Amino acid sequence: MGKQMTEMLKGTLEGIVLAFLTGNPAYGYEITTWLRSQGFTEIAEGTVYALLVRIEKNGLVDVEKRPSEKGPPRKVYSLNADGEKYLEEFWTTWGFLAERLENLRTEGK
Amino acid sequence: MSIRSMFEAVVGELELKKRWRQLKARKQQLPENHRKAHDAVERYLMYSAGIADGAIVTAMAEDLLELFEQGAADGTPVSAIVGDDPVEFAEEFARNYSEGAWIKKERARLEDAINSITDSDLDKLDHRKDES
Repeated sequence: MGKQMTEMLKGTLEGIVLAFLTGNPAYGYEITTWLRSQGFTEIAEGTVYALLVRIEKNGLVDVEKRPSEKGPPRKVYSLNADGEKYLEEFWTTWGFLAERLENLRTEGK
Repeated sequence: MSIRSMFEAVVGELELKKRWRQLKARKQQLPENHRKAHDAVERYLMYSAGIADGAIVTAMAEDLLELFEQGAADGTPVSAIVGDDPVEFAEEFARNYSEGAWIKKERARLEDAINSITDSDLDKLDHRKDES
């Protein structure tokens, strides 16, 4: 993944994951697989995992442990009310940023 | 220190020791590549994260092990777990446990120092307003 993409994703991955979790509880592996299918092909599993630890700590998701056939129990993440609120803020911020940047791009022409 | 808090400290220590023993045993169950990668990241974290709190360092080690256990169970290769920049990954991972870092005290001190300067500057501004 390009350096620029990595840097930009740092600020947006949280919102992307929360958006994916809306109405769609999932565990880490599913989230990474989905991200890869969306074109974020080189995203590290560990990066997603660290993000999930963080949003759990920040109380944006509820976590349910489900036993798994292999390996440790799987943590299934679902968006809670605080997460929804946070995501709403994220979209507002994103909308502002996207609009400003688009203006900047078209002004120059 | 009261008897009660002494007792709690001792029990807490024993509990942490137990968790470390379990971690050590679980580590041995990882496939070789995952174990090697896990140990390398763990070593880096122990040096770089500078975590002074025993409970937090244990939680960090448990989370890290779980990541590699899950990866091994899903058949995710090491390169896909840590990505192409393992240091970046480790730093990102460590940030979740920064409340246990010894540097936290210094961060708070820096913030307080800056805040106190700003506050007294504001006082001066208010003062000038009063005079005018």
